Formats: sequence, C-alpha cells, structure tokens
Amino acid sequence: MLRGGIIGFGRMGITHFAILNSRPDVEITAICDTHSFVRRNIARHLHVAAYSDHEKMLRDADLDFVVVATPTAMHKAAACCALERGLHAFVEKPLTLNPNDSHELLAMVGRSACVNQVGYVLRFSDVFMQVKRLLDARAIGDLVSYKMEMRGPTVLGDTRGSWRSQGDAGGGCLYDFASHAVDLVNYLVGVPERVVGAVLRPVYSRQVEDALCATFLYAGNLWGNLMVNWSDPSCRKPSYRFEALGRNGKIIADLHAYRAFFRGPPDIDGLTEGWNQRHITDFAAPIRFYLRGFEYTRQLDYFIDCIEGRASPGVSSFATAAETDTVIARIRASAAQEKRSERWIA
Amino acid sequence: MDRVIFGDNQFFGINHMSEDKAQTLAERFKDVRAILGVLDAAYDCGIHAFMLNTHDKAREICGHLRANPQRYADLRLYPSLPYAYKYANAVNEKGIVEALNDFLFAGRTAGEAFATLIRGGRTIINRDLIDVMKLLVDAEMRVFRGLNVRAVFLQNIVSDLLLGMGARDLLKAFADHIVASYGVDPGFNTMNMPQMVKCLQDCGIENPLVCSSINKAGYFMSPGVKEYEETLRTRHFRAMAMSVLASGAIEPREAIAYVCRLPNIQSVVFGASSRTHIEEIQRLILAHWPTAEPSCAPVVEVKHAAAGCADLNAVTQAT
Repeated sequence: MLRGGIIGFGRMGITHFAILNSRPDVEITAICDTHSFVRRNIARHLHVAAYSDHEKMLRDADLDFVVVATPTAMHKAAACCALERGLHAFVEKPLTLNPNDSHELLAMVGRSACVNQVGYVLRFSDVFMQVKRLLDARAIGDLVSYKMEMRGPTVLGDTRGSWRSQGDAGGGCLYDFASHAVDLVNYLVGVPERVVGAVLRPVYSRQVEDALCATFLYAGNLWGNLMVNWSDPSCRKPSYRFEALGRNGKIIADLHAYRAFFRGPPDIDGLTEGWNQRHITDFAAPIRFYLRGFEYTRQLDYFIDCIEGRASPGVSSFATAAETDTVIARIRASAAQEKRSERWIA
Repeated sequence: MDRVIFGDNQFFGINHMSEDKAQTLAERFKDVRAILGVLDAAYDCGIHAFMLNTHDKAREICGHLRANPQRYADLRLYPSLPYAYKYANAVNEKGIVEALNDFLFAGRTAGEAFATLIRGGRTIINRDLIDVMKLLVDAEMRVFRGLNVRAVFLQNIVSDLLLGMGARDLLKAFADHIVASYGVDPGFNTMNMPQMVKCLQDCGIENPLVCSSINKAGYFMSPGVKEYEETLRTRHFRAMAMSVLASGAIEPREAIAYVCRLPNIQSVVFGASSRTHIEEIQRLILAHWPTAEPSCAPVVEVKHAAAGCADLNAVTQAT
C-alpha cells in the first residue's frame, strides 16, 4: 500500500485526491491546505489528517509520495521539501514560474530515484496520444507548419478575488491556461528553437493577460502559431484545436476527434488515402475510474505505475515540464520585445 | 418510474463524440423557443418525463412549463444538479466564498435572502459542508418550484467526486435532504456505476436510483461493460440508462436492442433534436418494451424545503 499526501486542496487537489483514493493500493493519509474551512471539512468528512503547514505534514506523516496542487508560486518550495525527503512527487502544471527554478528541481531529481511528474494531462488524452503516434510515424510526412488554438470561458469578468488575477502567484492566461497548449506543442511537435511575435493582452483582467499569440520557429523551416484566449464566452469549457500540415497530408484534432488527409495510403491504423475521420468512441481505452475525463485518471495511474515499477517514467516529467517553462519564458521575452517595438513606433 | 425519459444534454451543446456536432447543437438551440419546440415534440409523442439540468436555460424552460399547466398537465421532471461549469467558472473569477454567496442569494427577495442567512449562518465559511450542500441544493431547486418533480439527481461530476473521495456521509446527506425536503427519490448520475451502486448500498441507501451511461460500445462505462452487466444482474437497485446511443457512435436499432435486453433497466434516458429522431427511438423502445407507456403514478406532493426556500411550494398534479 502506497501512502500519499496532497498539498493544496483546491479544484485540482480535490480531483487528484478522489482519483488516487479510488485505487485499492493507495491511501491518502495527509492533506495540507491554508484554509481552515477546508481543513475542518477534510478532517470531518474524509477522515484524513489535515495540516496547515506542508513542512510539518512531510515531517510528521510517513509518506511515499506527494501531490503538489497549490498556486504555482508555491510549487517550488513544496516540491523541494518533498524531494529532500526522498518522496516521489507529482506537481500540478506549470512546474514553476521560472525556468531556473525548474532546472534546480530537475537537478534535485537527477540526484535521486524519485519518480517525478507534472500535471500536463493532455499528454494522456486519447485523441492527442493518437495524433502523436501518427506524427511520430511520419504519416503526414515532414511537417511544414501547424497552429495550436486554445480557448475557454475561464475569465469573463474582473477576477480580483482570485489568485488567477495575480501574475506573481502564477495567475494570468499564459501560466495558468496556455501552459497546457505550449506543453502539447512540445509533446506533439517538439520544443521550438525560437519564439517571435508574441503578444499578451488583457480582456477583463487588470494585472494579467487574458489572451496571447506567438509564432514558434524550428530548424528546417518548420513554424507554428499559438493562439490562446481564456476570455471567450462562446465556449462551454476549455477547448483545443491542433492543425498540422505536412508534405504528405494534414491532421486536424480536438479533444474528441481527429480528421486526417493523406496524399497516399499512410499504412497505419487502417487509415486510407484522402480524408479520414476518427472519434474518441472509436479508440478510447476503458478506464478503471472516471472523473472529469479519461486523461485525469490515466495520468495518475501512470504516476503510481512508475512508482511501483510497472511503467517507465518520462511522459510528463520535471524534464519535459522544464522545457515548457523555458518556452513560456521565451514567450514573455518576445512579448516584452514586441512591446518595446510598439513604444518605439508610437 | 417512467420507462422513457427525455434528456436535455443536446440543448446545451454537449456531444461527447464530436466538438463540431456540439457546436452545431449550441447554435441550433441558442433560442429557448427551439428547445421548447423539441420538448413539445417529445411530449406529443407520449414522452411526458424530462430530465433537466440546472443550466441557465432551465429557468426559462421551467417558466414556460409553469405558465402552461394545461399543455403540460401530465409532465414529470427529473432535475439533475448542479450544472458544474457555472460553479467552476464563478469560483475562478471570484474565489469560493463570493461565488457561493452569489449562488445562494442571486434572484432572491430580501426576505428569502434573510431566511437563508439565518439558516446558513452569517458566513458560509464557518458552516459544515453538509449545511452548505443543502443550501446549494435548495438554491438550485428553486428553478423547479411549482412543477411536478419525481426524483432529484446529483450530477456525475459531483457524485463521482464524492464516490472517489469516499465521502459517504455527503452522499447519504444528499439523499436524506432530497427525501426530507422534497419528498421524492434521490438519484445519482455516475460514470462509475458498479462502484457507485456498491457505495450507496454500503451507505445504507436501499434500492438506490442510479443513472449511468449504458451502451454497447462501453463508452463512459468505468471500469467496463462486463462489470456493468454483472452489477445489473446481481445488485438490487433501480438502473436508468443514458448515453445509450454513445453520442451517435452506435446505430439506434442496435443500441436500443442492446440496452432493452439487459436485466433491471427501469428507464432509458435519451436526447434527440428532431421529432423524427424522437419517434424513431420511441418506436424502437416500444418494440422491445411493449409496456413502455407513460406510467400512471399516484399523486405526489413535493414538500416545501426548509426555511430559506419558502417559494418552493411545488404541489404536483400527476395523473
């Protein structure tokens, strides 16, 4: 039986708790949260020890692993504490707000045998896993260009009451929302060498951006566009659209389906020349427990499987998340550069 | 129990198989009159039982149903709550306390708000989760005041969360509150039916009402088709089947034949967006279940919720 603790019991902490707790081979024995309302109800209804201080929790509770689901600014301190004690660590995305901090954590895990994972859940999505297989198999040939679009109704008004409105806490569309799209690009296509033409803009927020765009450049003339907006009232929930053009075809994917065009027979998954369409119902693998989406359970089961030696780590590790943090930093740097240019033109 | 219940996911732009289909539905049903047109078609086909989520549009739909009591004299509603996205988005924007206050007090008169304050305590933050849950249920149920409610369902995003957390006392508290305050059956939507049924029975909820995806494709059936079929065969509970068409992945004839052959299915919940489609599904169900006429249940009086919901005087006029 693996014993786990959770630091931060907001929306993601609660989701992770429910999914892990539904496993017979895992027991969550400690939860840490700063709100007394949350701690009181954890103790009363979940019968789990509730702490207000994560250092005390890690010291007192005899744990094998920890899940860090605090606001992003607190990830590094909590993850450091866990790694120093030799605990396996699952940290919510993004890993940290600064690539240097992420690389410090990466150095720590390099010196240990701890399993480390970051909650980039889309790497476990049925459709995007299929798209990754097609791209890796070069089913549409050498890539020419792609676009990644992500939109959602997350912020449709002034968010002053929430940490999402504070950039230094990890709020803002880029860290809190677009990091998923950036990581998905890294997963599907690879890490861009350069980021140019980035624009970060508020829609409703006063201190952080609600929308952004950027162009990613790669060796060999490949380029991609990223467009993200979390203030789009036309969506019911966050949605993604990835469109990749290759020399031998095209793939258009979202969370539920993909369409693919091939100039000749691609010789994979029974796909044929011309247009093909596959829905999630065609290939979704059964999952032992469902909450919010197949991918949420799949990512945590993978984490546990890695700890217990049934799977090889690496799908969404501190190393891949540090690459994502680096791209995020490049987007910020490019946006700052664009802003200077705007001022110069004005 | 009604054997055939008309679902409403299609009206809110929900399609689990395709975002393009979901977008088409959202455009088609942006106007409540389009929704009411399809509900009327279902009603005129003899389907007098509707499952309704507490989406923003539910208020207008229920207002129309209330305003036309003769047109919908034999109507039976199965509310499903909460519509989780509106909570998630509000909590993102405002933080949890302000979001809760908004939901509890929005659209209330000063007297009602005062009653809720007395019952909820001046600050939500000092209350036990069960008290907060009851206040939220009552706030959601105000939409259905004056209508014939037959069972109240806890949406799967919440019920499966509580199931995973092992928060049995909260599941039981929901069930007890629905019985005590509304005098109807509590129901549970779930994507994990076998575990949910076992958990509810372990909680002491006898013969629970459980609504889950049941389809030949095994879609949204965790952990798998085999466990679902075994639970249907061996456990004492009332099963309602939804997503029987797996969002269009299964051909209707095959889909209905599969679900109607299974043991212990009390009701089929299905959504459709045209009269032709409604008639087709209704005809297929009747072919397998010749007794699928709307049930003639006894008159049920939906009791007042406790203080704070004084306007929920839902005395029903069932056939």
